[in-house]
Amino acid sequence: MLTVTLKVNGESRTASVPPETTLLRMLRDQLGLTGSKLGCDVGDCGACTVIVDGKPVNSCLMLAMQAEGREVLTIEGLATMDRVHPIQRAFEDCASLQCGFCGPGVIMSAKALLDEIPDPTIAQIRDALGGNLCRCTGYVKMIEAIQIAARSMRGEQMEANR
Amino acid sequence: MDKTVDKNPKVAEKVSPAETILKEPGILREPVAAPLVTYPIEVVIPKARQQTPAVGQRATRLDGRLHGLGQTGYIDDMTFPGMLYAKIRRAGVASARIKSIDTKEAEAMPGVMAVLTGKDVPNNSFGPSIKDQPVLAYERVFHAGDGVVAIAAVTEQIAAEACEKVKIEYELFTPVLDPLESLKLETPGVHAPSANIYQKKFIKKGDIEKGFAMSDHIVEGHFTTQMVEHVPLEPHATIAMWDANGRLTVYSTLGRITLGRADLASTLGIPISRVRIVATIVGGNFGGKNEITTEPVLALLSKKTGRPVKSVFTRPDEFIASTTRHPLIMDYKTGVTKDGRIQARKLRLVLDGGAYCSWSETTLSKACILSAGPYNIENLYAEAYVVYTNKTMTGAMRGFGAPQVCFAYESHMDDIATLLNMDPLDIRLINAFHEGSISPTGQKLQSVVVKESLLRAAERFGWNGKGSTAGGSKVLPKEITSGTTVRV
Repeated sequence: MLTVTLKVNGESRTASVPPETTLLRMLRDQLGLTGSKLGCDVGDCGACTVIVDGKPVNSCLMLAMQAEGREVLTIEGLATMDRVHPIQRAFEDCASLQCGFCGPGVIMSAKALLDEIPDPTIAQIRDALGGNLCRCTGYVKMIEAIQIAARSMRGEQMEANR
Repeated sequence: MDKTVDKNPKVAEKVSPAETILKEPGILREPVAAPLVTYPIEVVIPKARQQTPAVGQRATRLDGRLHGLGQTGYIDDMTFPGMLYAKIRRAGVASARIKSIDTKEAEAMPGVMAVLTGKDVPNNSFGPSIKDQPVLAYERVFHAGDGVVAIAAVTEQIAAEACEKVKIEYELFTPVLDPLESLKLETPGVHAPSANIYQKKFIKKGDIEKGFAMSDHIVEGHFTTQMVEHVPLEPHATIAMWDANGRLTVYSTLGRITLGRADLASTLGIPISRVRIVATIVGGNFGGKNEITTEPVLALLSKKTGRPVKSVFTRPDEFIASTTRHPLIMDYKTGVTKDGRIQARKLRLVLDGGAYCSWSETTLSKACILSAGPYNIENLYAEAYVVYTNKTMTGAMRGFGAPQVCFAYESHMDDIATLLNMDPLDIRLINAFHEGSISPTGQKLQSVVVKESLLRAAERFGWNGKGSTAGGSKVLPKEITSGTTVRV
């Protein structure tokens, strides 16, 4: 058993896991963060997408011990007690999710995109969502929501910079 | 109280001594720490409840807030104290007789709490119409996804390893894989002595010979559609547990929970009043979660061990062991006058019914009734058959046969239009249903707006003529979110 210590959503967390444990399993089973989903376990569907040190990652393809000492952001880390994150708000307003299972993965991919490219084109949004499968919606309202969230986040940034 | 189910041998003996457990890595699980509340707790009133009229309005959904936060509780997100994990060992062969099953090595593994085979199931068959599906295959294997052995263990990994340690001996038979082969009377029955054609449907209207005689052209078309898997993002997941009153509670991704209760009652041989099924928000169904899968297995494992048991399908399981969309082989023959009016249509549908009936009867019915298309046809003969094959069972998937025949009759219409050098829109306007049309099964139709819709759509698309190539449509095929991409 290995002891893995890492920062998850800003908080230092530790878990004792067998060496072959994936980051996804550790988040879900050991750390109680079931927002990241297991859809295929082989990196095809993107439902397990989290952000590790700023980059979106299929957490089912990353060993827990590879995340040792790193900063991981999951869907649970976006909202605060005051408000939901602008991306979550936009997804809600645009009714972008139906069954919701792909949602956390898509939202994390969107977050990673907007952190790097605050004003993405539709092609860039599509590219960022390329690793996230959705069987319900057809992606159209997600792309719309991400554009709206981008505008909202740029507005907030401008406010903060004043 | 039925005691035969419960050969519960001294569960206490199955629990390995603490020393053995502590030596084995991976068996102990750390207690789960509850995550902090990091989201606003506010009353969200979705617009869906507030607007009138609602049709055509943008609305927020009731589940939008929880979905966005990742807070929606799917079955796999649930845990219960003392919960075990189950894995199913699947046959991997298409058609066989099971000669022997040796589970001794698996049972001896530390952390393995119970092993189940078909002989432990009180009534080992179920199905929405024909009860031909086993809970666990016992004497015969009918497709590669058939579950043969189920194992419950303290971790998922141990259960999976234990499944690999089970030794199964098969006597292999030649599988029937081609539905057209299966249609032939001389092909050995997949479920012998039952016939391979397990259901058929015919529609006869008017006199097709007369209709063909009145036609200027007779056009034939052969169309096939493939087996499609629903691929819901959320795999099938189930948790089963009992209470001391002999009441079973099952948490499941199952869609039709009332049927599920009946199936559990019958397979387990318990009164239906003892069965409680809790379904929650499902991560996609599309028809694939319409019938029970591992629920009876987990119920029996839970009974053997006295603990809650969870099982989640792997993605490969989803492909080989859950229901799929029926492949159809469709042969159409249509007689038309030279100005494009249909005089007669004769067609045959062969549905690949997979290893078990599942929802095939409904699918056959729907496919046959809709097979002629939304067109006024005086003389019609439709025959439809569903046959057994040794492949993954085919069941419900959005449309139940309608999408497949739609592909056929619309492609066929385009082909006829091409042959007659007509606009594919015009040929449809000539033949389509109108108010008061009589359907192939004799129903007088009301509120028919086929032609109005076509014309309005043509205007919106900017349709201005014949289009190009086989298939005829100017509009490129779009990805349809019922789960099928239709290639013209």
